Amino acid sequence: MNNKSCFSREPHPPASSRRARTHRSAALAALFVVASLLSSPAAKAGDAPSWMHALVNVPLPIHDEKTDAVLLYSEEILNVQSNGRIKETERAAYKILRPDGRRFGKLQFAFTPDSKINSLHAWCIPAQGKDYEVKEKDTAERGYADVEGGELYTDLRAKVVDIPAAEPGNIVGFEIDRDARPYILQNEWFLQQTVPVAEARYTLQLPPGWEYKAVWLNHAEIQPTPSGSNQWVWEAKNLPAIKWEPDMPPWKGVAGLMIVSLVPPGGVKRGFLTWSDMGNWYNELTQGRREASPDIKQKVAALTSSVSTPLGKMRALADFLQRDIRYVAISLGIGGVQPHPATEVFSHRFGDCKDKATLLSSMLKEVGIDSYYVIINVERGEVTPETPPHIGGFNHAILAIRLPDGVSDSSLVAVVQHPKLGRLLFFDPTDDLTPFGQLHGALQANYGMLVTPDGGELMALPQLATSASGITRAAKLTLDEHGTLRGEVHEIRVGDSAWYQREILRSVDKDSDRIKPIEGLMANSLGVFQVTGATVTNLKQTSLPFEYKWSFVAPAYGKTAGNLLLVRPRVLGTKSRDLLERKEPRQYPIENESPSRDTDTIEITIPAGYEVDDLPPAVNADYSFASYHSKTEVNGNTLKYTRTYEVKELSVPVSKADELKKLYRIIASDERNTAVLKPATH
Amino acid sequence: MNFRRVFLFVVLLLIAAVARRTPLVSGDDWLPITPDELKMTSEPKAPGAPAIFLYREVDRKDSGTANTEYNYARIKILTEEGRKYANVEIPYLHRTTAISNIRARTIRPDGTIVNFDGKVYEKTIEKTKGNTYLAKTFTLTDVQVGSIIEYHFNYDFEDGWVYSSLWVLSEELFTKRAKFTLKPYERLSVRWSWPAGLPAGAQVPTEEPDKVIRMTAQDIPAFQLEDYMPPENELKFRVDFVYSEESAIEKDETRYWKQFGKKNYDHVEGFIGKSQAMQQAVSQIVAPSDPPEVKLQKIYARSQQVRNLSFEPRRTEQEQKRDKLKEAKNVADVWSNGYGWGSEITWLFLGLAKAAGFEAYPVIAASRNEYFFRPARMNSHELNSNVVLVKLNGKELYFDPGTAFAPYAMLPWQEASVGALKLDKDGGSWVTTALPDSSASRIERKAELTMTDEGSLEGKITVTFTGLEGLSRRLELRDKDDAARKRYLEDQLSEYVPAAIEGELKSQPDWKSSSEPLVAVYQVKVPGWASSAGKRALLPVGLFSATEKHLFEHAHREFPIVFEFPFKKMDDVTIELPLGWQVGSAPKDMDTDAKAAEYIFKSDGKNGTVHFNRVLRSDLFIVPADKYTVLRNFFQVVRSGDEQQIVLQPGTTSASQ
Repeated sequence: MNNKSCFSREPHPPASSRRARTHRSAALAALFVVASLLSSPAAKAGDAPSWMHALVNVPLPIHDEKTDAVLLYSEEILNVQSNGRIKETERAAYKILRPDGRRFGKLQFAFTPDSKINSLHAWCIPAQGKDYEVKEKDTAERGYADVEGGELYTDLRAKVVDIPAAEPGNIVGFEIDRDARPYILQNEWFLQQTVPVAEARYTLQLPPGWEYKAVWLNHAEIQPTPSGSNQWVWEAKNLPAIKWEPDMPPWKGVAGLMIVSLVPPGGVKRGFLTWSDMGNWYNELTQGRREASPDIKQKVAALTSSVSTPLGKMRALADFLQRDIRYVAISLGIGGVQPHPATEVFSHRFGDCKDKATLLSSMLKEVGIDSYYVIINVERGEVTPETPPHIGGFNHAILAIRLPDGVSDSSLVAVVQHPKLGRLLFFDPTDDLTPFGQLHGALQANYGMLVTPDGGELMALPQLATSASGITRAAKLTLDEHGTLRGEVHEIRVGDSAWYQREILRSVDKDSDRIKPIEGLMANSLGVFQVTGATVTNLKQTSLPFEYKWSFVAPAYGKTAGNLLLVRPRVLGTKSRDLLERKEPRQYPIENESPSRDTDTIEITIPAGYEVDDLPPAVNADYSFASYHSKTEVNGNTLKYTRTYEVKELSVPVSKADELKKLYRIIASDERNTAVLKPATH
Repeated sequence: MNFRRVFLFVVLLLIAAVARRTPLVSGDDWLPITPDELKMTSEPKAPGAPAIFLYREVDRKDSGTANTEYNYARIKILTEEGRKYANVEIPYLHRTTAISNIRARTIRPDGTIVNFDGKVYEKTIEKTKGNTYLAKTFTLTDVQVGSIIEYHFNYDFEDGWVYSSLWVLSEELFTKRAKFTLKPYERLSVRWSWPAGLPAGAQVPTEEPDKVIRMTAQDIPAFQLEDYMPPENELKFRVDFVYSEESAIEKDETRYWKQFGKKNYDHVEGFIGKSQAMQQAVSQIVAPSDPPEVKLQKIYARSQQVRNLSFEPRRTEQEQKRDKLKEAKNVADVWSNGYGWGSEITWLFLGLAKAAGFEAYPVIAASRNEYFFRPARMNSHELNSNVVLVKLNGKELYFDPGTAFAPYAMLPWQEASVGALKLDKDGGSWVTTALPDSSASRIERKAELTMTDEGSLEGKITVTFTGLEGLSRRLELRDKDDAARKRYLEDQLSEYVPAAIEGELKSQPDWKSSSEPLVAVYQVKVPGWASSAGKRALLPVGLFSATEKHLFEHAHREFPIVFEFPFKKMDDVTIELPLGWQVGSAPKDMDTDAKAAEYIFKSDGKNGTVHFNRVLRSDLFIVPADKYTVLRNFFQVVRSGDEQQIVLQPGTTSASQ
């Protein structure tokens, strides 16, 4: 999946790093939700404040011996001004328990021109000796952006704090005040962290006449305590840690979270209460941005004049957006969520996800086809049907294209029937490796906000059939009496399986390196081999299956044991995984990227003078979430191994983790299975 | 693209001069574009490249107070992926450097030109108390496959300073043509060198009558990374320039190192100081009756007990101030303080050894993780590490007690087999430090297992790490606690076994010793290790083979292969079979001796027990790229041996299972 976070005001984590993501999310509570009403006086210059010293002897929350640190106390205070500005304070203190907990002494606090840091202090209370203090002048500052990845510039920066003596046994903490001028009056309170939390507090102070609406995710609702005029306090104690697991759901899919929408008096809707509110806000933000210039009109005509069908026109325009408009993100202020006008994107020939969606929408309009923004998150599970409308849940923009009546084609699979708008095809113009009509796995069964002229609605995107993604591998091989195996393999990849291979090959900058993925695949299963020829078909033609063909020689593949010849009929390809081979019981569901169906057909001609003496047993494993079937049989002098592995469900619940572990072990065993050949008796 | 990833400018000398800053090239001085450049769709010398530099130019003028460097880049976009080079980032150090005269343009495949008129952003990379690192970023418009993009700009340097500079020839893209010039500051001496050589056909950098140093180069290959490659510094083509205040830079290699050696010898002698304190210390460490080797071992062990500040977690400025650590002026201070930096502890050992009457020498060595040292380069900065040479019983032994957990008479791999200067009052002589052979650094895995009727293995595995194998793990885990170390060792076992394994560490390894091996004992279960094949069962022999599975899997190799140190893996596996099971046939024994590496496999089965031994010995150090196939073939043999299976005949009661 394209990891470009092109619809956001948040720093985004390194690509494909769930660990980074969870850490980021934990840290974000420190980064974005902050301000100051109470500035706790320090006992004396250089000492930690009294609220930190009060924590020295508090009981630690429940934790195990692998816990790096515990959050003793966190407090967030939102003081909303009548002009919509927000003064934010955050303070928190951790007790470091293990050497790996030193990371809690290295903090980052993001800021933008719209969210300025007024003051920042951090302290350490060592188990022995005097306190340490870090003042704002002692902090460093870092910028974000990944120029080579297309993130050219953002006004988001971070203060970096390195707290002294962040060692086991010591307490580190910070306090930050900031002034924010938010575009949207919403706030998120993350109760949970990657470590256990002893106590967390959240205070909301509203001006007279203002109201709020709180929605809870992944945690039972906590009732606030009124603590003054239009002021409420929420408290939580002894919260368990969210511990990272491979292939777990995203942070917002598992961590306790309160989303607060703020409602000023007079019907001003700057904190969304409904999806319609949010959709209308986005309509205002994009007003006029999809107007086509004469140049755009001319280009549309050039691209579509030779195409007679609406489907052909849509494909031509989609192809133009995917190939000719380069991904470049420049995120300044509201530009994190507001697209550039289509005319600018067209003339520059670059833009980010919302820019690309805007230009494509503009061009489609020119051929009479309506389309709508879909604001979404590239990690399925960040937004669920329970998620309230809030901008913080989203980081990507795609399009829903209203298919004209009569347009029908078997390639158009990412389609949903909308009760009012009819058939909607979801398309991501930023993802240049997923062809028009299909949808990358991470977006399948995901939830996005469909923005229509009437407002917005949360909508489920389709989950494609298992046949839409997968690898079909066929090999015709010959084994000689010395055990040398040789022959050809033909591999056809569709859907996400094709996407991954193209993604790997796109970063290859030498022709001679294109063979490396095949060598890696072979090395997974064969000790000795030489690839003697290889071709790639349809590398660039994403609408066609990606194909590899290669030939190889593998000396000593068949192993002699006495007068026997041992042959593993699977030969190559690995479906088993060890992600559940851990001592700790699984805590969270196992997320699959997309449904898929892989099939292998391996035919091995056995050497003259040998016959099959023993065959491995057939395997038939069927579960609700996946199935695996394999069979080895003999047809004349040919050993034929066939197998099918199907991933049917995108999320495997914890209750079925043991079943999945068992399935992986069954597959691993099958992948090791061996046929025994013996000298022919006749 | 990131024009320069690293800030390469080092302030060298404050100078006094006055000059007006005038750009070397002003305005939009674009070079003409040829039809061939427009038509080009690929570069035969860089097949598959996403983009190439058609031309690069760097013109540096160090004229006193208006030093400036003009940079020009012309890039041909050959694939969609190559369009990313239209994003340009020019990092610089604020206050000492400025960027001026940025111009850029896109030339479409049809030859029409789009001049860059967009915004140039200024991005903060990092701002600290002392320094502000910024970057100018911009992106060109309408960039398509087939387009040419080009841009130029000037680095303008702070008045009154002259900076060292270098020409980077090896970039991540292939360069078709490049031109470099430097007009050095006239009142300083300058020396230049090309430590990794020059690309074929390049003109050697030469100072011409107008006092400008020039070079041209063409067809410079793109730089790429490979596993087990030598340090990048050894491979990247570049030209380094070093200014010196001295009126004439020493160009004679022998004299250069003699001067360096004398200076350093005096420094070390000064640091070791009077031997009285060391003699008193020695008397506390050794007994007069101890044999020489025992004495030396005791001195070494005692030196390593000194608190080593170099191997403690990094401390902030505030902590350092509060620690009030005393600076050691000599080894007596280190001894009395009870702490010191690694290099100081090494000299303490030297002082103690000499005080004990050993013939011992200070040695300045070049660690090989960054460079492969060559005296001819006359770069004393490459001699960045200190060790001690002791002559004992006719042998020359090298020591580095300043590296925590380094075993007696064994250097960490970075300092082993490297060029080094053995110092004496005359400047010293060149030596090569010792490289322990494979028997000194072993991973021994002993498995005592029982197989169940279902083909699972259960029992005990003991893994012993000796020599540099133990050292590297002790260093890596030195700041961790017991839980993290346990997790590490359990993960390590999982990495050895090419199947799911349930392993629990049962021992408490000694993480602090430098003299004892690191020993880990596990209780394990390997579910379904043996597989069924009709009436037989098959038992794979490669229980510890996973580490070699992907080693050198690719057929093509660009650079030499470098191993950190020689090693030996020795596996001894005993598996008790279920009652009634018998060995049907065992694989053939193997002994593949390729001199610098060897693979041995032996098995036997009797009395219901299967036993096999596996030895993988590697005395490989640096393997030239043209010998890669031989190396790859050897490891293919290893994998082939590891893939063998023992045929078992199950007992009658379990045959059906």
